[in-house]
Amino acid sequence: MAHPLLQVLLDGLFAGAAYALMAAGMALILGVVKVINLSHGAFFTLGAYVAYALAGRGIGSPIAAAPIAAVIAFAFGVFLGKSFVNPVRSRPFALPVGTLACALLFEQAAQRIWGPHPLSIEAGAPWVGPGGLVLRRWGVIAFLSSAALLGGLKWVLSARPGLPLRLIAEDEEIAGSLGMDVEAIRYLTFGGACAMAAAAGALLSPSGAVTPTMGRAPLLLSLVVVIVAGMDSVGAIFLLSIGLGIFGGACAWFLSPQWSYVALLAAVCLLLSVRPAGIVVTAGRLD
Amino acid sequence: MRSAAPVSVGWLAAGIGLLLLFPLSSPDAFLLDVFTTGFLLAAFAASWDVVGGVSGQITLGHALPFGAAAYACALLTSLAGWPLPLAVAAAILLAAAVGMGIGALSAPLAGPFVALLTLALGEIAHEAAVGHTFFSGPGGYAWGGEGGIPVALPWRDAPPFSSYYAALAFLCLASFGMLRLSRSGAGLILRAVAGSPITAQASGVPIARFKRLAFAAGSAFAGAAGAGFALHMGRATATDLSLELSFQAATFAAVGGRGTIAGPVVAALVLHVLFQGLYLPPSARVLLYALTLLVTLRFFPGGVVGTARELASRLGRRDGTRPARRGGRNRTGEGTR
Repeated sequence: MAHPLLQVLLDGLFAGAAYALMAAGMALILGVVKVINLSHGAFFTLGAYVAYALAGRGIGSPIAAAPIAAVIAFAFGVFLGKSFVNPVRSRPFALPVGTLACALLFEQAAQRIWGPHPLSIEAGAPWVGPGGLVLRRWGVIAFLSSAALLGGLKWVLSARPGLPLRLIAEDEEIAGSLGMDVEAIRYLTFGGACAMAAAAGALLSPSGAVTPTMGRAPLLLSLVVVIVAGMDSVGAIFLLSIGLGIFGGACAWFLSPQWSYVALLAAVCLLLSVRPAGIVVTAGRLD
Repeated sequence: MRSAAPVSVGWLAAGIGLLLLFPLSSPDAFLLDVFTTGFLLAAFAASWDVVGGVSGQITLGHALPFGAAAYACALLTSLAGWPLPLAVAAAILLAAAVGMGIGALSAPLAGPFVALLTLALGEIAHEAAVGHTFFSGPGGYAWGGEGGIPVALPWRDAPPFSSYYAALAFLCLASFGMLRLSRSGAGLILRAVAGSPITAQASGVPIARFKRLAFAAGSAFAGAAGAGFALHMGRATATDLSLELSFQAATFAAVGGRGTIAGPVVAALVLHVLFQGLYLPPSARVLLYALTLLVTLRFFPGGVVGTARELASRLGRRDGTRPARRGGRNRTGEGTR
């Protein structure tokens, strides 16, 4: 039996990579749409439930579940972005309260469909590495696919296809005057970011219990990541998410799973007190 | 500044008269109970409006002072054995102090970050209440956790209509107090802080102090509603601190019309009685609240009161009288005040 700390470290590393995928989505929404999306956690939950439903129908592998969850979440995200977020994004009250309403709406819908009880997915036999260290199958898959997706995102953002996103993040008026359809790019980005959250949820679904409120902790984790690491560097988001994933795993191991949620909440409070400027959100000032 | 009341005094008197008559028509105990909790929730929604509407500090953790007062009420009467009036007074003071603390933390923050901070603070309190059994009462019973803590009441089995009238009286008093506050000089300054903090600051308003004042005042009223809720239920439970409760207050305020005090009270009464009276399970109720809120935010940003005013001004224009144009509306698309 390996040292438990080592095992916690390894599992945290795997989970943190998937959280990075979700946090990168949050950062994209902040950069391009310039809103704080409190329903991001609900899309994570959606991905996990899609994976659960697929596992019940014989498609057990997260590699198959993640793209399906991503497509479903993309559709919902585009709907939400086009018909709610875009029209109200200049109103400081409607955005946080409205996206929270979407999150609660989904939590309650999930509870009515799948019930309030924790569900679990067959995780597959883990590989036992040197020294009795357990290498979980879902963890390896989550780590590799998240790293690949984030690498792809980094490349797309720095290359030609990512130019409109970078330009809108910097100055949307210039982007509009250059003939870019700013509104469409906004809601497509919103949908894409929601798809990333759902993919993360599907990849991590075998790691623990699937419950209607499971998305709240990853939402806070993404917020902490975006406040600290900013939204410019995919690499910083990746490293910080892994750090927080390990920290959350350690909290859950040494104290109780609840404590990792409370620690994240406390981190949000602390960060906002230390850095009152938080993250630069310019929506509402530009209009 | 709009001084005309959204509801005229005549309609108000008619409404109160109907509510006073209602128990005399001998309705069943369930319906009386729905109305009683409705009155307390309406006062809670109005107290949200003091913070989130009048002062523009979007709080998503307003259940924190509500639940803190409920827990204080339960602990002080059951565990410490305080007499009830003293415990209620202490609970309200505690809620005001909690509000002062939230206000101090959130004063430097802008817009959505106030929402984020208050949400996080409320969730911490909820987790603390739900996850830990702090206290054990006499007889070896474990108190705390999901089951909550009982309130030691000096009376046994109060008749339902007495709590109905007590809650109605409390609602009338509290709404009157909050309306007076929102139309006082301090209320005017709070509206200025909500409208444009920079302009307010340039005019010499100490905005951090007024933000703290807004949170303290709103939280004191929320605490009074929370203490009343604990007395009515006979128990303080973790749901008194839940995110869903904070969200409900914001929903009532948005649907009624933020910043009007009366709008949230009426919206809370109507929506609560409607959704409770339909015998829906709690999860379906939250679902309906969320849907109502989303539709309101998207299509009627001013809520019922704001939409009614807009219609009235449109009708006025058709009559040939000059409509009162709203100056602040076009810039933010937000204000209906």
